[in-house]
Amino acid sequence: MDYPTLLVQAAVNGLVIGTMYMMMAVGFTLVFGIMRVVNFAHGEFYMLGAFAAFFTYAQWELPFVVCLLIAAVTIGVLGALLERAIIQPFRSDELSGMIATLGLSVIIQNAAIVMWGPTPRSMPNVIDGVLTIGPFTFPLSRLLVIVAAALIFAAFWVFMQRTRTGRAMRAVAQDAETALIQGIRVNTIYPIAFGISVALAALAGVLMAPIFSVSPFVGLTPMLKAFVVVILGGLGSVPGAVVGGLLLGLIESFTATALGSLVADILQLLLVILILLVRPWGLLGQKEA
Amino acid sequence: MRKNVTAIALPLAFALSAPAAAAETLKIGAIATLSGAGTAWGMSIQGAAELAAEDVNSKGGLEVAGKKYTVEIVAYDDKYKAADALTAINRLIFDDRIKFVAGTVGSAPILAILPISTENRVITMTMGFTPKALSAEYKYSFRPVLPSDVFSDPQIKWVVDKLGGKRVGGLFPNDESGQQVGAANEKAYEAVGAKFVAKEFFERERVDFVPLLTRVLAQNIDIFELNGNAPQTAGLLVKQLRELGFKGPIIRTGGDATADIVKVAGKAATENVYVHQPIDLASPAIQQYQKRFEDKYKIPLNAFSPFFHANMHMLFEAMRKSGTVTDTDKVREAMLSLKDFDTVLGKVSWTGQEQWKSNQQLDAPFYVAVIKDGQPVVVAKCTPAKCQ
Repeated sequence: MDYPTLLVQAAVNGLVIGTMYMMMAVGFTLVFGIMRVVNFAHGEFYMLGAFAAFFTYAQWELPFVVCLLIAAVTIGVLGALLERAIIQPFRSDELSGMIATLGLSVIIQNAAIVMWGPTPRSMPNVIDGVLTIGPFTFPLSRLLVIVAAALIFAAFWVFMQRTRTGRAMRAVAQDAETALIQGIRVNTIYPIAFGISVALAALAGVLMAPIFSVSPFVGLTPMLKAFVVVILGGLGSVPGAVVGGLLLGLIESFTATALGSLVADILQLLLVILILLVRPWGLLGQKEA
Repeated sequence: MRKNVTAIALPLAFALSAPAAAAETLKIGAIATLSGAGTAWGMSIQGAAELAAEDVNSKGGLEVAGKKYTVEIVAYDDKYKAADALTAINRLIFDDRIKFVAGTVGSAPILAILPISTENRVITMTMGFTPKALSAEYKYSFRPVLPSDVFSDPQIKWVVDKLGGKRVGGLFPNDESGQQVGAANEKAYEAVGAKFVAKEFFERERVDFVPLLTRVLAQNIDIFELNGNAPQTAGLLVKQLRELGFKGPIIRTGGDATADIVKVAGKAATENVYVHQPIDLASPAIQQYQKRFEDKYKIPLNAFSPFFHANMHMLFEAMRKSGTVTDTDKVREAMLSLKDFDTVLGKVSWTGQEQWKSNQQLDAPFYVAVIKDGQPVVVAKCTPAKCQ
């Protein structure tokens, strides 16, 4: 392989991983921005999404678009219910809320082990084959992730900007009390926001399941990366999560391809520390007063 | 009140156990991992011991020096931990008065119990791959399974000769075992004239190997080596290698992980993958054993199990020959004198003098298989000296 081929290959790899990080981080940061809750169980919803893909796509052989819808709706609703039952009681108490989500993550993961067993399952690709342009070869299954993630994110963006609920969510994020005075039902907005957040994680899980594999432990890495991304982009900032996610994916891919995985991991975390030192509110986050 | 219950129960228990002793029961211990991640291996030991006991009991018992013994297996769980194995061996030796033990599964557990079992002249049969499990000092320690340092060299030589690859690449986990396996593999490949041109390490939680594989493939490798990777990781590596367009042979030198590799990577990606195969699944004796095992325990047969079944039968034969079920020195000598002994594995003998100063390593053939349509198909039969 020559140099330009390697570069392009690394860029596409980086975009694939980056879009996954982006989808994870957007939901994660959304919940923090609106509810001030750090959701440690976020990765487990990714895992549930991956299992949803396994059952709907690999076992029941439904069309992939339908699988995405089923995963988003069922896991989104589950998230909203969990918010109501477990997270809402801790609304004014950030620390207890954090511990509640930590407990939730352990419960979800172990329940998955009990129900589905610890062994990894593999599922078929949504599209097989490769796209060859000149000297470059890309697996179509990976290109699909980029396209699907872009569409999902576009839908999310339109929802946030153009719909009443989206606008209400942004208002609550800016100032919950003022939003309440304006007649926004904050208590309804919270579960909706949480549901949308975990639905995004579940969609990431569905998209990545055919590429990686499905097991109760797959949520851990995306969760850790979501943390890194929101520090990079700014906690609570949706554009920051997008930029941070794509950036982290590209950095990871280029450094790992050029320097090996160990150096890549070192550089990534060095970057995080550097950002925390120099610009603790992140690339696009807002400096807290 | 509690004291009173014990006072009544204890003699009662003795009274109940007394008739069993009169019927000449020969107890054999098993220290096996029966919970947690190593359960499949532990069950393979316990199952082998129980099936071997069934073999002799169904013929009216094991006849030694004119007496018939009913063989009974006493199994304890060591949870793959040295401390629990130690508890188990103490119970077996001092409570159950047992002289013969199948197990342990792990290396650390066997090393923990060997000083005690040796001192009490208890014969053990371990699955632990550690080179320290066999030595002149541990007179009663046997190993029925072939450890990787026995099978990897001949297998690598065969693969390099047969496939003609000169440039080898591999990814290994970045911890002590991964680093060790990586170094050992590099040495083995270079000893037979191939070159390890790309060797990368990664943190165990990584799931996306594409950047690293791109880096490895940039070195124009002919062969990819999967050794040292957990079964699931090995499967992901195969899948992602094929997606990046690598069509060359992929080699799994190391423990049996074929089922998981095929599960994760799918049938199409696992064509042209060569794996180490401890048993020949096409042999009628193995197939019969597999059916018996799977019917009884309802779990898939682990390839290690037949080795323990073979060792148990060698033990029974040694007891018959030496005419004792208590003098372990005589039984040990009789067992070591067995040559080309017929077992479920085929004919087996003992080896290891040169490598470990202890001739108590089972010498059985092993195989190299290529995966075809998701199933391993044997392509070469090996001995520790060479494959063909």
